[in-house]
Amino acid sequence: MALIELRDVTKSYRRDANEISVLDGVSITVDEGDFLGLMGPSGSGKSTLLNLLAGIDRPTRGAVRIGGTEVSALSERALAAWRARHIGFIFQLYNLIPVLTAFENVELPLLLTNLSKKQRRDHVMTALGIVGLSDRETHYPRQLSGGQEQRVAIARAIVADPTLLLADEPTGDLDAKSAGEVLTLLQRLNREYRKTIVMVTHDPHAAERATHLLHLEKGTLVEQTRVASAGSA
Amino acid sequence: MKFIGLVLKSARRSKRRTALTVLSVAMAVFLFSALRAVLQGFDAVSAASSAQRLVTIRSTSMIFPMPTSHGEIIRGTAGVQDVTYANWFGGIYKDPKNFFGQFAVEPESYLRMYPEILLTPEEKKAFLDDRTGCIVGDGLAKKYGWTSGDKIVLQPGIPTYGSQDYPFTIRGIYRTSSSAVDNQSMMFHWKYADERSIVKGQVGWYVTRVADPDRAAQVATTIDQKFANSPYETKTDTEQQFSAQFASMLGNLNLLLGSVALAVVLTTLFVAGNTMAMSVRERTTEIAVMRTLGFPSSTIFMLVVGEGVLVAIVGGVIGGLLARALISAEMLGLAGGFIPAFGVTNANVVVGLGLSLVIGLLAAVIPATMASRLKIVDALRRVA
Amino acid sequence: MGLITNYNLRSMIVRKGTAAMTAMGIAMVVAVFVMTMAIAQGFRGALVASGSNDNAILLRKGSTSETVSAVLKPQLPLIESMPQVARSADNHPLASPELVVIISLPRTSDGQPANVPLRGVGPRAFEVRNTLQFVEGRRFTPGMQEINVGKQAAIRFKGLTLGSDVRFGNAVWKVVGVFTADDASFESEVWGDVDLMMPAFQRDGYQSVTVKLVDPSAFDSFQAAVGNDPRLDLKPDRERDYYEGQSATTGALIRVFAIFVTAILSIGAVFGAVNTMYAAVAYRTREIGTLRALGFSRLRIVTAFLAESVALALVGGVIGCMIALPVHGLSTGAMNMTSFSELAFKFRITPGLLVGGLLFSALMGAVGGLLPALRAARIPVARALREI
Repeated sequence: MALIELRDVTKSYRRDANEISVLDGVSITVDEGDFLGLMGPSGSGKSTLLNLLAGIDRPTRGAVRIGGTEVSALSERALAAWRARHIGFIFQLYNLIPVLTAFENVELPLLLTNLSKKQRRDHVMTALGIVGLSDRETHYPRQLSGGQEQRVAIARAIVADPTLLLADEPTGDLDAKSAGEVLTLLQRLNREYRKTIVMVTHDPHAAERATHLLHLEKGTLVEQTRVASAGSA
Repeated sequence: MKFIGLVLKSARRSKRRTALTVLSVAMAVFLFSALRAVLQGFDAVSAASSAQRLVTIRSTSMIFPMPTSHGEIIRGTAGVQDVTYANWFGGIYKDPKNFFGQFAVEPESYLRMYPEILLTPEEKKAFLDDRTGCIVGDGLAKKYGWTSGDKIVLQPGIPTYGSQDYPFTIRGIYRTSSSAVDNQSMMFHWKYADERSIVKGQVGWYVTRVADPDRAAQVATTIDQKFANSPYETKTDTEQQFSAQFASMLGNLNLLLGSVALAVVLTTLFVAGNTMAMSVRERTTEIAVMRTLGFPSSTIFMLVVGEGVLVAIVGGVIGGLLARALISAEMLGLAGGFIPAFGVTNANVVVGLGLSLVIGLLAAVIPATMASRLKIVDALRRVA
Repeated sequence: MGLITNYNLRSMIVRKGTAAMTAMGIAMVVAVFVMTMAIAQGFRGALVASGSNDNAILLRKGSTSETVSAVLKPQLPLIESMPQVARSADNHPLASPELVVIISLPRTSDGQPANVPLRGVGPRAFEVRNTLQFVEGRRFTPGMQEINVGKQAAIRFKGLTLGSDVRFGNAVWKVVGVFTADDASFESEVWGDVDLMMPAFQRDGYQSVTVKLVDPSAFDSFQAAVGNDPRLDLKPDRERDYYEGQSATTGALIRVFAIFVTAILSIGAVFGAVNTMYAAVAYRTREIGTLRALGFSRLRIVTAFLAESVALALVGGVIGCMIALPVHGLSTGAMNMTSFSELAFKFRITPGLLVGGLLFSALMGAVGGLLPALRAARIPVARALREI
C-alpha cells in the first residue's frame, strides 16, 4: 500500500536571473514497510528530496502525499503539527541538545503531546530500551560516543511512534563498527517493528540493508531497484 | 509547565554569559531604584507635610527677617491655634564642610508645633531648662558620634550673630515619627542667639497651626493681609507648598534623574539584547532540530522570551535587594541639609522587578522573533 | 546549493550586530558621563567666568562667601586710596562696594518662586567688571530707583523685561537695561545702586568690595597692604579664586552624582563587552590555533584581542560623545548652595571632557576584553585546530 507518493515534483531556486533545478519532475511511490535507500552523487538532490518528505521544505511544482495527506498544501502551523505526529528525523550529525540528558533529548518530541509525565517516561524508556541505551539515560551527549549519540537520536526519532522514519546519512560521521550497529538497528526497526524508512546515504554497506534503492543524478531519477533480501523479514 | 525545564536548562548553557547578563540587569535595577528613592524622598516630605501647618516668611525672600511683634499679630488672627518661630543659624562646626541644619527656635512652642519630634520627658525638660542646651536628630548624632551631655561649639557663619563662638550642651537626641521633619538637624534656644546678636528681635520664619485644615489657605491670606504695605510684608504658604518650592529650588530634579534613569534602561537593553541574540545565534541548529521535531514557531518564540525574562528577573531581584540594603542617604553621606532622607522601600523593589521584566521582554523580542522565523532547511548544518 | 541564498543565519543577529550593540552599550555610558559632567563644568564655568584676572574681592576675614561677609562704610575710602587700585580716566578709583541679597521671583518655566540674587553695586561697577555689555537699554543712574537685569535672569524669571516695574524693599524699581556677561554668573543677577539697597533692606554696611588692580601682579602687594592696616579686618582674594571656591560645594555634589551613576552604569556595559569578546574568541578558536601554530606568541594574541576590544569600545566612545554633544550650550539653572540663590548656566562640554570620555571608553574596553584575551591565548593549539 503506497504510503508516500511524489507526483512530478520539482524544486528550483532563483539565482540572479537563472532558475536552477535541484529536483526535476521526480515521481516516486514508497510502500508501507519499505526501507528505501536514496543514493546519488553530491548535488543530485537526494537531501532536498528528504527535506520535502519531512515537510521542512516545499516543492516548487508537484505534490507530496504522505499517508493520504497532501503535505505540500498544509499551512506552516499545520505542517509543524503533522510533522510532530508523523515523522521521525535522524540527522547525520545527531543534533542532540547538549544541555539535555539522553532521557530529556528523547523526551523532547513528547512535550508536544498531551501525555502525562508518567506516560512520557514509559515511552522514553521503551525507546531507549530498543536502541539498547537504557543505562545511559542520565548521561549528557558529551559523555557519549558518536555511535551512542546517534542511537539516542534514533530513540528520539521513534519515541512518538511516527508513521515514517527519515534518515539523512545516519552513518556518515561514524566509524565502521558504530555504523554497523546503527544500520542493524535501523534494519530491525524496519523488519520487526514494520517501520517505513527512507535513508539518504553514500555508503554501499548501508545500501545493502535497504529493501529498495533509488538513484538520483542531477535532480532526476535514474534507477530504481529492489534489493534481494539477505534474509527473510 | 513542562517547558520551564527547557527554559531553565537553556539558561545554564553558558553560565558565565548568563551570570554577566544577570549582573548587568542587577546593576541597572540597583541604579534605577536609587534614583527613584531620591525623588521619592522629596515627595515623602511633601506628602508627610501637615495640612494644618503654615509657614510665614518675608515676601521679599526668606533671607530677610521679621520682627518678633509679628508673632502676636499672627496669634491673634482668626483660625490660628498656635504659633512658633525659628531662625536659620548657619554656623560652622569645626569645618565649613560639616554642613547640617541649625535652628534657633522658641523651644516650648516649637516642640508643641512639631509632635513628630520625639524626646523623652527627661530630655525635653533638660533642654527647656538649659538656655545653652540643644537637641540633635539621631541621624546627626550618629554621624558625629554624639551622645547626650556632650559639649559642642559652633562658630557663627552669618555676621548678624556676632563673632564669638557659641558653646552648646546636647540635652537630648530626638527621633522623628514622620518624614515631615528630618533627623539630621540641631535645635537650640532662640533667646541664646538673640542676646548675642548684633541686631535683636529678628525672626527667620513663623510656623502656625490652624484649627481647621480646610481653611488653611484662607488663614494664610488673612495673615499676609495683616502685614501688607508694612515694612515687613509677609508671604504665608501651607507647609506642603513650602516644601515643594524648596525642592524646586534645587533644580529640575525630575527631568535630570528621569533622563538618567532612561539612559540606564537603554544601556541595559543593549547589553541584555546582545546577550540574547548571541545565545540564540549559537543555537540555530538546535532550534532547527526542534522545528523539525514539530515544535511550532510560537513555542520557540516563547522559549526564547522565557529565557530572557528569567535571566532578567533574577537580575532584578538581586539589584532590588542590593538597593534596599545599601541605598540610604546616610550611607551615601548626602543627608543633612537640603536633601531629605531617602531609602529604598519594598514597593521600590517590586517596581524594580517590574522594570527587569520589561527589560527581559524587550531584549528578547527580536532574537525570539528571528528564532521562530528561522528557515529550517537553511539552518540545519550540512556537510556537502 | 540553495543553502547559500540564505546562509549565515548565524548572522541573523549578525556578528556585526553584536559588535554594534556592545558599542552602543558603551556609547550610552559615555554619553551619560559626558552629559552629567557637563553640568558640573557648566556650573563651575559660569562662576569662574565671573572672576577676572586683574580683580580682587575683599571680604571680612573668615567669611566663606560674600553673603555672610561684612564691610563697614568707613573702610571703603581706605581701600580706594590704595596705590594698587586702578583708576579711571577721570581719576576715580575703580572699586565697587557691593551687597547681595535674595529676592523671591516666580520662574517663567514653572511659576514657582526662585531665589534671585540682587546685587547692590557701586557706581564704578561696570568699569571694574568690564566684560559686561548692554544688549538693551542703559546703565542704571546712581541715586535713582533703577535696576539692570542680567540676560539669563530676564529670561528665566517673570517680570524682569526692559521697562518692567519690580516691587521689592518697599519701593518700585524700573528695569532700564539688560546686560550680558560672557555667560558668567552675573547674568543671573539683578543690579542696582548699593546706597539705595542698603536702607531698602535695613542694612547699614556693605558685604564686599571688588577692586580692579593696576596690574594682575599687584595682588601680592595689595594683599600685604590690606593685611598691614589694622583698621581693615578684611581679606582680599583674586576674584577668580574666590569664584572658583564658590562653585566647589555644589560642583562637588554634582560631580559625586555623575561619578556614582557612571560607575554603576559602566559595570553593566563592561559585562556586555566581556560577553561579546568571549563569543568572538569562541567563534574564532580555529583562527587563533592557526596563528599559534604559525608561531605567534601568546602575548601577541592577548595584545591583538585586547586591541580589538579597546577599538570596539572607542567606537562606542565616539558615538557616545556625539550623542552627548547636542546638550552643549543648553541653558539650565540650579541652586548655588553657598549663596542660596539660583544660578543659570549652560551645559559645558570641554575638549578635555570629550577626551576623558574617550579614555573612559577605552578603559571599559580594556577591562572587558582582558579575561577573554587571556582565554584566547591559553587555548591549546592542537585542540583549537580541531574545532570546526
